[in-house]
Parts: sequence; structure tokens; C-alpha cells
Amino acid sequence: NLSLFPPVRPPKKTSPKKPPTKQQAAMAEEQMEEASSSAAASGTPFQLQFDKPIPFQIKLAEWNPEKDLLAMVTDDSKVLLHRFNWQRLWTISPGKCITSICWSPDGKIVALGTEDGFVLLHDVENGKMLRSIKSHDVAIICLNWAEDEPLSRTDKEDLLSYEDRTTRFFPPAPVMPRIGGLNSGDTGLADENEEAIQAFSSASCQRFNILCTGDKDGCICFSIFGIFPIGKININKVPIHVQSSGKRTSYRLQDVSISKQVSLSRNLHQLVLLCSGKLINTDNLSLSNDLSVGVHCLHLDTSIFSNRKNELHQVSQQASSIQDLVEVVRASISMMSKQWSNAMNLFHEKFSALPSLLTAHGMESSSEDEFMSLLFGTHTSPALHQFLVSSLGEAGLKRIAKTIESAGRELRIVVSEHLQPAVEIISFRLAELRGLARWRSRFQNIGLDEKLMDGVTERVGMLVVQVERFSRVAATVLYLFQNFLSWVLKCVKILLSEPTDQVPSTNSELVVIFLKFLLDKDPIKQLLETDQIFEWDIDTAKHVEHLVVFGGFTDTKFLERSLAKQFSELEESLKEAFLMPFTTVSSQIHCQGLLPLYPVTSSDALSSTSTPASIAFYKDKDSQHNASSYSSTDYICFKIPDGSLNLRNFVAVIKDFCNSCSTSNTPSLSGFLLHIPVEYECVDLSLYKDNQVVLLLSGKSSSENAGRSWMVMLQTENLSFSQFSRTFPANYYNLQELEALELQLDTDYGKVRSVPHPLSTPLAVSASRGVACI
Amino acid sequence: MRATAWEHYGSAPMVRMNTLVYATCFADAASSSELSLAYVKLIEQLAVFKGYSAAFCALKLAEEKFPSSTNSQIHLLKMQLLHERALHRGHLRIAQQICDEFGVLSSSVSGVDIELKTEASLRRARTLLAAKQFSQAAAVANSLFTTCYKYNMQVENASVLLLLAEIHRKSDNAVLGLPYALASQSFCKSFNLDLLEASATLTLAELWLALGSNHAKRALSLVYQSLPMILGHGGLELRARSQIVLAKCHLTDPEFSVSEDPCAVLDPLNQAAEDLQVLEYHEMAAEVYYLKAMTYNHLGKEYEREEAAARFKEHVTALENPRDEEDSLVY
Repeated sequence: NLSLFPPVRPPKKTSPKKPPTKQQAAMAEEQMEEASSSAAASGTPFQLQFDKPIPFQIKLAEWNPEKDLLAMVTDDSKVLLHRFNWQRLWTISPGKCITSICWSPDGKIVALGTEDGFVLLHDVENGKMLRSIKSHDVAIICLNWAEDEPLSRTDKEDLLSYEDRTTRFFPPAPVMPRIGGLNSGDTGLADENEEAIQAFSSASCQRFNILCTGDKDGCICFSIFGIFPIGKININKVPIHVQSSGKRTSYRLQDVSISKQVSLSRNLHQLVLLCSGKLINTDNLSLSNDLSVGVHCLHLDTSIFSNRKNELHQVSQQASSIQDLVEVVRASISMMSKQWSNAMNLFHEKFSALPSLLTAHGMESSSEDEFMSLLFGTHTSPALHQFLVSSLGEAGLKRIAKTIESAGRELRIVVSEHLQPAVEIISFRLAELRGLARWRSRFQNIGLDEKLMDGVTERVGMLVVQVERFSRVAATVLYLFQNFLSWVLKCVKILLSEPTDQVPSTNSELVVIFLKFLLDKDPIKQLLETDQIFEWDIDTAKHVEHLVVFGGFTDTKFLERSLAKQFSELEESLKEAFLMPFTTVSSQIHCQGLLPLYPVTSSDALSSTSTPASIAFYKDKDSQHNASSYSSTDYICFKIPDGSLNLRNFVAVIKDFCNSCSTSNTPSLSGFLLHIPVEYECVDLSLYKDNQVVLLLSGKSSSENAGRSWMVMLQTENLSFSQFSRTFPANYYNLQELEALELQLDTDYGKVRSVPHPLSTPLAVSASRGVACI
Repeated sequence: MRATAWEHYGSAPMVRMNTLVYATCFADAASSSELSLAYVKLIEQLAVFKGYSAAFCALKLAEEKFPSSTNSQIHLLKMQLLHERALHRGHLRIAQQICDEFGVLSSSVSGVDIELKTEASLRRARTLLAAKQFSQAAAVANSLFTTCYKYNMQVENASVLLLLAEIHRKSDNAVLGLPYALASQSFCKSFNLDLLEASATLTLAELWLALGSNHAKRALSLVYQSLPMILGHGGLELRARSQIVLAKCHLTDPEFSVSEDPCAVLDPLNQAAEDLQVLEYHEMAAEVYYLKAMTYNHLGKEYEREEAAARFKEHVTALENPRDEEDSLVY
């Protein structure tokens, strides 16, 4: 790659001139692992790969877990995607303030969290937006997308594997219809986008993964594949039970704000997050004091995701495709209604001239009567004559006929290619889901409710009947229109004494039907609008009632509803049915443990969210070969803000917090403090593969080292972890108990490299590629 | 056609829905024979999912609606339902009588009315199986298989193979049954006959279970495989059968202890008992209550045990002393 795209500057040389403005940040990519052996010979660890000035301030950066891609968010919320060789792939500006970023585990989707609570999913290939999901009300501070570790699958689970039969029986699912004809310029783009959505929904369902999003107000949402919401938990409302010296005390956190870090372990078993808030003793409210406001580390038990992942996978796979198809149906209905109302507007516009002409001529008959008398050859009133010959005219008539015909064609296409197949696949998938819901022992505890599913299946059955009826009504109406218009055309030609042999022959009976039923009414429109009640003849109503005995729909009034009304009812019951798993799963996420880290005064509570911190799960070395029951250890690494706990310039590393919560008899919680040399401050830090910590240190402006920075990688195993107690709440913050180590930049703690620039956030490291971006 | 296709592919709600679409939307335009076919499908669904009383109730209405006595489809359906019910109730004499009527219906010329003939001999084999005349049943099924093979009737082929497996299972020849069940399963797989495949898998599980308790794990995983399909689309009988097999798997598994997890056994059994009540299937209901009584005995719940045992006895006597047989022809 490097040879293909030679760098702008020689990689080893430092940049000759200072960045011209403050807006300009120097980006350097450093090869950490691969090059370190060769670099060790020359004495500099972290070989510099690129050093490139860019004209933006970078706010967030994240490496793709699979490919050599770096996604960055600028201060003005543009998103850039660069390759490792600094070739830019795309830039997008979503038009919203982006507050967090993360990659999907397969590296195909980049998820962005916005300030107004949206999660945007973008395709890595071209940066197109695949989905936009509003799951929060306030800014999304952190995103974490974790995939089920394939190693943790056991043989038993493989036997429980479930096949989605839909692909065997159906052609590819229909996509949203788009407006054809006039605006053909846009369609190419829309087409590609739809294809992308389609590819997304089929590709995303292969392996089970969960996206967690945490917002500023302490809500955490979970969604499977990033699209199907499955749980939500509000940290402000979670009771925290602490067992201390045999007594059980309940606590609650108030005014929670989640900090940058949320991390779901790779077996989806546990979630660790850092948040700031006020800890209150719910049993005794008077016990809280100023110190109780601080940054806490919470451990949530999400074992429902790992224990029930097969079930959740199946349900979400079906449910998310159903939701996609529901969108297709919605788009189809709205498009048909638009197309048809356009055509009808033209028709009514032209034909509304007739009643006014009739009144102008002082006649009291309706336009229907006038057409009737014209049909039966009694007489042609001067008003009708004037209307047909001058105000309507042959050209106008032909235009109406053409418009209605093309609208009818569009309607037919939409019904046959989008609406009908979509509804059919929805009903098939719902039938499959209903089958799963009947397996109570496995699916009831994730909230798939049999009764609700039955209701939805019933509704979708009615919708299928409605679609069928709609297509019949539409066909009839269109034929009647065609017949009527060609009859009118014939009349015009006769009135103008022109030859009528070009005009197709017409059926006068059907003209009568048209005049009786369609001149003032519009059954297609009635069916496409929600608030209309559709009249249906008594015979059919009786017939439907009769069918109930044969196992027909028990709701015999369904034919009175319009198609759109039926659809909205289906949507409602779908929503209800899918809310059930959501609430059931949400209620099974509990708080397992809490560890107060450091107090913050309320004035700097806001800034605490931006304090560097990193959480990672590492697989336990001894259990790696044992695939069925591997466990992982969590590492939490964070900077303690100056002044808090009377410490200055300290970084803390804690490990085994989760295990210490779940097994109370083996207090394994341990950690250490690291004192940064006084003339430097820690800008950012990150945990890296194999239990390392990477620190970015920047020289303080007051010291002589201003402008000089260091990048340090420490092997945590070489450092001594000391255990500390979780006796709680005797003294809230126990971190001082930890052994404090001095970080010396010239010793052999790990790898150290000096960087001749002042550094700022962010630091992005990639464990799979062994690169860092500063 | 769509409804029939779904019948084969195995999606019961789709069958019902498509038939309803037809019956609702095209009632005015369809010919009476087509419409009656739609009603026949609906009644079949009722029989399979809601039990016989509902089905016969609907059948009466359908006969009123299509009064022509020559309407063969409805007549056939009536006979099918009567036969099924007689088999389930244990009224074998009546079942035999209906089988004979079936045989008469088809033309005597060979190569004509093949479908009717296969149906007749399939039913004859099942009657013989219910009468525990295994060798005769196997002979009928074998000759039926050759006929189906000759006329390329793949769906029937698969179901006949499954029947053969069933015959061998009931005659305690589980090893002989295995190849038939496997063949049927692979047949179904290649023709996308999902529901039939699920029931073949279930039979396979039953066969493994019959081979001894050390195969219980394998049988359990097979049941798990077929359960989503059977619960979603299978009829009452199939569902009850799968629940029974599930409970049996747990009970025979030497590592499983009832006292630790009684729900794993009792839940499926209760469900099966519920379904079989509607179906009036005495033989299987007796089995369910027997298993239930055994489980309660293990758990030391005597009152429940006595209750289950009483129900067991009820069903066994109903099976052995078919009273009011004439009742079977009335609906």
C-alpha cells in the first residue's frame, strides 16, 4: 500500500514547519506492533508511518476492526473515512452534531450517535445512510457494538440452529416503490440506496450482535444488529443492592450522565460502564453528602443476551425483516394514494366546469342527469354541449384519459411488485414467529407472546384480503374510467361531426354504472385513506359472517375498513407484539455491582464526561482452549481528574471488577495507580490488546517541555496490581488504597516514543492492525 | 393452488389465509366446485387445529351450501374425517367399513383415479396398523410405495415411507424403521416438504428413543430441531405427539432427574393432554396420563397421581370397549 501511494512527506522525518493555525491538527499514524522489532534496533519504538496535516480539528476517531480504515469525526461533524495509506474514501456531513462513533463488529457499518438522540448507520462502502433510528431523547455519548464470540458456541446450541425458510420459498423481498416517470434523475440514486438497504438487512443477520447506546441522561439502549431494539435501561431508576457485612443496602444513582465508556463483554454476559452521578441511599436519604457526587463504575448483568441468544437471534431476524417490509407497504400505500390523487385532481378539475356551466344556463339538473340524457339520446343541453366542445375539448379529454391510464398502470405495478409480495412475506414471517411463540418454554421468557402473535397473524390475514380487494376494485374502476372517457370522446366527435371510427367501442351499461357510482365518488381514494368507511354490500357481509364457522376471521366488520386503516391497525398490533420482548428483556437486566471511583465537585461534573477512560475485556489466558466456558476479565483504565481524591496527575487501572461483583467470597478486585511525571499531563489513554495500556502524554505549557509529547505503551502484567477492598460504604472511595507507581519515561516499563508536537485527543488504537492514530 | 402449495411446504397459517382470500374475494366469481374446494380446505384446517366437533359443524353448513349430493369433494372430506375420528376413538370396525367405501369410490380400471386409490390404501394401511396387524399393514404400504413410485407421486412417496417407519416402530422393530424414516426425511428435504420433514424427524426421534436410553440425548436434539416447525404449523395430533416425545426424552435420559425439573416433563404433557382432549384420541391420551401418573409418582404427589391414573383408565376402557360405535357415523 505504501508503495502504491507514496506519502506526501517522508515518513520518518518530522514535519518541518509548525501547523499554521490552531484549527490544523497533525495526524500521525504509528505502526505499533509490526514495526516495533525493526524499530527497536534503531532505538525508536512505534514506527511512524504517516504524518499529515489536515485542515480540521478531529473530535473522534475509530479504526475499523476488520479492514485498514479509519473513521474520523471533525469538530464541524463531518465524517471522513481514510485508508491506512491516507487515501480518502468518502466524506459525509450528516447535518447533525455527532457525539459518538463506533464500527459494527464485521466492519461493514459505521454507527454514529448524534446530539439529538439518533443512531445513524452508514455503509462503509460508500458512506450512504442505511438507517436512522431514534432511540434516545438526548445526546448519545457512547456506542459499543459487541458480537457474540463464535468460540462460546457449544455443540448443543448448534443443534438448536434455526433456518429462516423465507428465502427458500420467496423471491427476494420487494423494495420500496419509487416515483417513476418525471423525476428520473433521482431514481438512479434512490435505487442504489434501496439495494444497499436490502443488502444490509440480509447481510447483517448472520451473526448475533448487539449495539449498546448510552445517552447523557443515563439511558442505555440495546438493539440487535443495531436495528431491532431489544432493551432499554435507565441508570437513574436501577436499584443497586449492596451486601455489606451481612446487611443489604439499596442505593440509587441520581442525575446520571454516562461517560464516554460503555463496554459489553464479548460473550454478551456483562456490561461495564462509567457514569457520573449522585449516589443516594434509598433506605436512608439523609446519609448522602457532597462526596456522593462522583464517577462510578457500574456492572450490569446482561446474561439474558448470552443465555437466550439463539432465541433472540431468531426473533429479531424475523422481526427486523417484518419491520422492513412494513415500511415497504407504507411507502407503497402512500405512493399509490399520491399517484391516484394526482390523476383524480386533473379529472375533477376538468369536470367541475360542468356544474357551474349548468347553473350559468339556469338549469337545475345535475351533471349525472345531463350525461344520462346524452347517453339515451334524448337531448344535449347547450350547457353540456358547451362543456364538451369548448371547455373540455378533445385534447383535454385525451390528456385526462392518458393521465388516468398511466396512474392506473403505476397502481397495478405497485400492487403486484411491491404491496402484494411484501404483505405476503410479512404474513409468512409472522406465521413463523407464531410457531416460535408456541414454544413457550424457550420463547416466553424473552417475551414472545402467543396471544399477541395470534392477533397480529389475524390482522395480516385481513390485510392480505384487503390488498386483493383493492386490486380488484382498482381494476374495475380503471376499466370503468376508460370506458366512460372513450364514450365521452365519441360524443365529442359526434358533436363536432368528426368521424368516430378511431374511437374504441364502448359499453353503455358500464357508462351508466360509472355515472351512478364513480362520477362523484372515488372508491380507490376511499380505500387508501384511513378515516374512510368503505361500504360493502350486504351479500358479502353475510358471506364473511358465514365464513367464521369455517375458521374465517372472527372480526366480520373488517371489510368496512379501508386498506390504509387495516394497515395502521396491523402496525399497531405489531408494535404491541414487539414491545413485549423489549419490556421483558429490559426487566431482566440488573445492576450487579457498583464501584465508586472518584468524587467530582458539581462544577466539574460536566467535564468529567470527557475525562479519558477506557474499558476492555480480555479473555482469560488459562481458559482460552476451553471453548465452552471461557471467561473474561475486565480492565478499566481512567485518568483521575486533578484534585479529586487529593491526587494530581494520576491514572488508575483496575481489573476484575465484574468477577468481584458476582462472586463475593473471592475478593479479586485489584488495580494500581500510576503517577505521571509532573511536567506532563495525560491527554488520552486506551487499552490495547494483550492487556496493554497506551497513554498519550503532553508537556504542560508552563514547563520547559511544552510542545513535546510522549506516547507510552505499558504492559500491565509487568506492573504490580494490589488488591483493594470493596467495603462499602464505610469510605466511599477506596482508590487511595492502591499502590502508586511512578511512571518514568526513560525506564523499561514498556515502549516509549517522543513526539515533537503538542498532542490532543483523540487517540485511536486498533488491536487487529496494530496501529494507532494520534 | 397457492393454498395447496403451502400445505405441502408446511405453513398452516398461509394455507388458511390464502383460502380465506379466495373465499372472501372471489366468492362471486368462482365456480361452485372451486369454491367448495376452498371450503374443504378450510374444514380440513378446522379438523386438524380445532378438533372434529368444529369441523363437523362446519361440514354440515357446507353441505347445505352445496346441496348437490354428487359433490364428490365434500363427500370425500366427510369420509376422511369420519375415518380419522374412528381411528382416534378406536372404532376400528367402522374405520374398516369406511376404508371399504373408499375402495369402491375409485374406478376399477387400473391407472385411473390413482389419487383416490392411493388415499384408500393409505387409509387401509393405517387401519391395519391401528388394529395391530403389522405384517398386513406393511404389505399394503409396500405395495402402495411401488405404485406411488411408478406414478412419480413424490409427496405420497414420502408419507408412505414415513408410514412404513411408523409400522416398524409400533411393531418394536426400531432398527428396521430407521432407514425408512431417514429416506422419508431426505425425500422431504429435496422437495421442500417442511412439515412432513419435521414429522419424519419426530419419528426418527421416536425410533432412537425406542433403541434405548443412551440415545435419549440424540432424540432430544432431533425433537428440538423439529419443534419450531411442528408447533407453528403442525396439527393438534402432531403437536401432542411431539410433546409426548419431548417428555419421554427427558424421562428416559439417565442424567435427567424429575425432581429437579418437573416442569420440563409436566408442561409438555399437560399441553399434549389438552390437545388430545379436543381430538378424542384415546390411545395417545392414555399414554399421556400414564406418563403423568409416573411422573407424579416420582415426585411423591399422590393425589395428582391418582387423578392421572383415573384418567388413564378412562381412556383405556374407552379404547378397549368401543361403546356407541354407531355414534361414529353420526355427526
